[in-house]
Amino acid sequence: MSFHPEMEYAPARFHRSARTLAEPGGDFTFTPENQARFDANVARYPADQRKSAILYALYLAQQQQGYLTAAAMRHVASQIRCTAAEVEDVVSYYTMFYTRPVGKYVLNVCRTLSCALRGAERVTEELSAALGVKPGETDPTGTFTLMEVECLGACDRAPVVMVNDDWHEQLSPQDCAAFIDDIKSRGRAAFTGCHLHKEGEPQGPPLR
Amino acid sequence: MAYEPVLVKHVAEPNAYTLDSYLKHQRGYEGLRKALTFTPNDIIEQVKASGLRGRGGAGFPTGLKWQFVLKDTPKPKYIACNADESEPGTFKDHVLMERNPHLLIEGCAIGCYAIGAKVAYIYIRGEFYHVQEILEAEIEKAYAAGYLGKNIFGSGFNCDVYVHRGAGAYEAGEETALIESLEGKRAQPRLKPPFPAVAGLYQCPTAVNNVETLCNVPPIVLNGPEWFTGLGPDKNGGPKLFCVSGHVKRPGVYEASMHTTLRQLIYDEQYAGGMLDGRTFKAIIPGGSSVPLLLEAHLDTPASFDDIQKAGSLLGSAGLIVLDDSVCMVWLAMNLLHFYRHESCGKCTPCREGGDWLYKLLQRVERGEGQEKDIDLLFGVANNILGKTLCAFGDAAATPVLTTLKLFRAEYEAHVREGRCTIPAEWRAKQPVFAHAH
Amino acid sequence: METVTLTIDGRAVTVQKGKTVLHAAIEAGISVPYYCYHPGLGVDGSCRVCIVRIEKMPKLQTSCSTTCADGMVVSTRAADVVDARASVLEFLLVNHPLDCPVCDKGGECPLQDFAYTFGPNESRMDFPRRVFDGEGVKADVDFGPTLMLNRNRCILCTRCVRFMKEVDGDAQIGIVDRGYGSEIATFQEEGVHSLISGNLMDVCPVGAITTRDYRFKSRPWDNPAVVDTICTLCSKGCNTSAWLKAKPEWAKASQLIRMTPRFNPAVNGYWMCDIGRFNYHWIEGETRVRRPMLRRADGLEKVSWHEAEPRLRDRIQAAGSADPSGVRFLASAHTDTESLFVLKQLVEGLLGPDGLSAVTVTWTRSEKRQPPGTTFTVPSTNAPNVNGARDLGYRIGRGNDGQPDDADLRGDVAAGKIHALYVIDPGPDGSLGDVSWILEARLNGTLPLLVVQTVALSELAAAADVVLPGAAYVEKDALYTNEQGLVQAVSQAIAPPGEALEDWEVLTRVAKSLGLALGHQQSRDVRRAIAAAMPDTPYADADKVAFARPVSARNWLQASNPSERWKWDFMFLDLPPVKGHSVQTEGTPMEGAFIPLKPV
Repeated sequence: MSFHPEMEYAPARFHRSARTLAEPGGDFTFTPENQARFDANVARYPADQRKSAILYALYLAQQQQGYLTAAAMRHVASQIRCTAAEVEDVVSYYTMFYTRPVGKYVLNVCRTLSCALRGAERVTEELSAALGVKPGETDPTGTFTLMEVECLGACDRAPVVMVNDDWHEQLSPQDCAAFIDDIKSRGRAAFTGCHLHKEGEPQGPPLR
Repeated sequence: MAYEPVLVKHVAEPNAYTLDSYLKHQRGYEGLRKALTFTPNDIIEQVKASGLRGRGGAGFPTGLKWQFVLKDTPKPKYIACNADESEPGTFKDHVLMERNPHLLIEGCAIGCYAIGAKVAYIYIRGEFYHVQEILEAEIEKAYAAGYLGKNIFGSGFNCDVYVHRGAGAYEAGEETALIESLEGKRAQPRLKPPFPAVAGLYQCPTAVNNVETLCNVPPIVLNGPEWFTGLGPDKNGGPKLFCVSGHVKRPGVYEASMHTTLRQLIYDEQYAGGMLDGRTFKAIIPGGSSVPLLLEAHLDTPASFDDIQKAGSLLGSAGLIVLDDSVCMVWLAMNLLHFYRHESCGKCTPCREGGDWLYKLLQRVERGEGQEKDIDLLFGVANNILGKTLCAFGDAAATPVLTTLKLFRAEYEAHVREGRCTIPAEWRAKQPVFAHAH
Repeated sequence: METVTLTIDGRAVTVQKGKTVLHAAIEAGISVPYYCYHPGLGVDGSCRVCIVRIEKMPKLQTSCSTTCADGMVVSTRAADVVDARASVLEFLLVNHPLDCPVCDKGGECPLQDFAYTFGPNESRMDFPRRVFDGEGVKADVDFGPTLMLNRNRCILCTRCVRFMKEVDGDAQIGIVDRGYGSEIATFQEEGVHSLISGNLMDVCPVGAITTRDYRFKSRPWDNPAVVDTICTLCSKGCNTSAWLKAKPEWAKASQLIRMTPRFNPAVNGYWMCDIGRFNYHWIEGETRVRRPMLRRADGLEKVSWHEAEPRLRDRIQAAGSADPSGVRFLASAHTDTESLFVLKQLVEGLLGPDGLSAVTVTWTRSEKRQPPGTTFTVPSTNAPNVNGARDLGYRIGRGNDGQPDDADLRGDVAAGKIHALYVIDPGPDGSLGDVSWILEARLNGTLPLLVVQTVALSELAAAADVVLPGAAYVEKDALYTNEQGLVQAVSQAIAPPGEALEDWEVLTRVAKSLGLALGHQQSRDVRRAIAAAMPDTPYADADKVAFARPVSARNWLQASNPSERWKWDFMFLDLPPVKGHSVQTEGTPMEGAFIPLKPV
């Protein structure tokens, strides 16, 4: 709607925002399985509170294509029945959502006090050297993304690394290079899993 | 008489997390069965009589919190279980949920019964997905066994327990921010009043309780309030989980009464087993990263809410971070301010702007580029945050700066004087990157 | 009204029960700064500058979120409050660019004002300021078709976020990132697309959101005068303020520079739509008709009123004497009540008691696309005075709810039954709707005489035999009756240009030239006649209506946000007057200028 000829509506001459935007992405809809999961989850909340399922919906979308595109956020908005801006608001607030592609293994090194006291800063340095990337970057093969995160809540098993949804504990700086090789050869089996779990229980291999 | 653990006695045993184990070793769900023979108000009275104080950090009496939940309302009521354990140095709820999930499930059910709720949401931090998988599977088992769902024990009481996964935000552990996050918004605190007990989740009366708090409820119902009060000092009764981390031989979660002193928790063989070989104790953060430091002179303080407060700090979430003499206190403050700067929700001004300012100043001093006036400025800025923020986060962010300045000002001055970090340690980064997150 | 009495800074203050301490302080004229609070939006409590000391409460409290209670003892001046407030202001300013000299908000900026009044004398921040989209003017980025955003200036009060969610109904603005990196943003930088987007400039307490229309055009001190008036661009009748910019001295008159909403809880609350806000340029536009015009062989020629009137009289008399029913009038429902009344006197004088049947009232309608949840709806009827015409007895069909009923006139024109058509069109262009049927009749030669009383040289005016220059809505004191039936006084902000006259006066002159002496010398005379003719109606007091006059803008700054207006009314009266403007202004605020706050 233009109210008078002097008002500039073609914004080409204006400066553009420097904000990093999510990729537009191709058409996105939940797979039938994910749609069913979403529908089951949203039923846990009162009928007029669909927005409560937004984090769950975003996890589903992220699992489905690895990261969140603008199209995926729009789809989530339509499922939640809110605006796309509200979805982006939530996505950008929480640290566990990615708006650009990440590696197959996202190494989240806990950097907060208890882990740092036991060498987490050195672990990051060694992982960085082994992978040839800085924190926040993905290696050229797209296999590993290195991140530093705040307290993971397993301070007794410091330093702790969360790899995707799996955990690896008491990673010493000396073991970092071998750890990367181990992941390359054994995948998830390379992770220690979380503390206290016992042989024969779910959650990967037992503690060393 | 040796203390007999209540909450984590069996967690190291194989299959400790299973319903079978819970029924066999912990008189599983008998507390709930017993609770349903009382009126909801009786349960609240029992919890009040026990003096159970919230285990999340504030230590507010749980029975009172439940009593405040608005009763005369047609609205539904909710239990929101705070399982967003994110306070640096704290990992007790992690262990409880991973190894003893039915204790929490039973606690949720009794809590719902007490306040008149039919639904409990367990808000678990997104990083605990492995814990969530166990918890959800065990919730299914509890439904199948009739401990959750409709008409539990034929009493007519219905109760649903759902796990709600967070996605990476320390602030979601603040009770109103947790509610906002549960409602699908960014985890930012709300103005209080109204308190959640009046207008919480979906503007309905809500009790927000920590995992460990709810885990204490079944034993109270089973064993009675007197048993509970007898376990600890006056007004600090019951079992308590202590998370010991840092420069000790055996970091871990230890259950003890609140008679136990900090020194015992650090040095006793049954607890953390002493400082790492060849290291000397320097200081301890006794209650998660948000509380003031205590020194050697305070180590004989019992680790109770009231005693630690008298000593000048707070028991908080009982996250004991033990620091040896290789720790530079400027570095420590910088490490924690990185945390607080990164985790500030950004809603209110002092915390959003002040946290960043403090972090930049600490970086400058730690790098050896600070001046004398920066030390005064750190004190001034931290004090300006104190008491002016919407939630307790602002005070928490100012504390590491104020406590290190109070107790270790000489280290700051040495950094300024010598133009370098005067206490480097081999466990720290070889080439520190003073990166700005933004 | 149930009240509570509390003490603020030693003064007993009585307010309505349920009001906040901030409300009470403002109503008592006690200065408390605030940013996130806005009386038209929900309480947020996030900016923290309105903190006060309340006895028996352990910590300082935000006054915007604390409800008054009997016996409460509040201090806004205790030493700890003064220090705490200054420290919050220091935090607000650590990353705020000090570009006030080039910022559009400069001079009417709450951050500027409060920082001067309550802030620390100097900042201790010596790190580079946070920059989002670039430095200086580069930081102004596209924020939709009507707005620009400068994130460096933003203090994250979230008023804009809450406005879109609570008022517009479509939450297009959110915050991205968190903590220190938080910024205001629309999804993927798509911008704000809303019919009420201009209000975002008003709610923004800093220069972060500006309108493209007003940006760089003027500064508050260039706008010496403001007139409280009413928007007439639809049937809602939003209360507005027209801002006048002083032209250089040689240019004599002042210029209309922007429109902002004015609080009226019964009509528009704190808001107005973008049509009313931005669609004012036609008033002083290039196509404006400034003199009467007569058709000559080679087209329209500008003439004086003395030349135009005899010609008009001769032609209308010729048409009317042949067949009185062949003289018809087409009046836009943008015509003010005074002019419609004079028109009624004219047609009844010429054609007898049934004269009104010769007049067709017309308007346009357009559905405004707005989100379902909006709390500020813009009506479909684009004319402001359909109800005024109805009340005077004109035939208006289904009125505001429907299309105008012009079928008879169209039919008669097409059938060649009309010898003279007199059109009244006070603008804006296009408000008569489809006029192709008139133009067609002119081309066919079936409409021998077309008189157009108008403001702009429209296609219709260009086809006329006689063009008479009328006045736009901000150029006259006049009454309009909105969709609710509320009679509102639209005040004159500027004079009609050139020889243009107010429409009642044009019609009075036309009547006089046709031998009908109506005796109106001023618009007030017309209102007196209306009051006499319509007792026991809302118009019975038409002659007593007070119209606003231009007043010094320094008392009107923040007029778009009455919650901030108090400080100009109470705090800054001792400022020297603004110099160098051409509009006569008064040094004291208008009586009753202080607008009470919306209850929360």
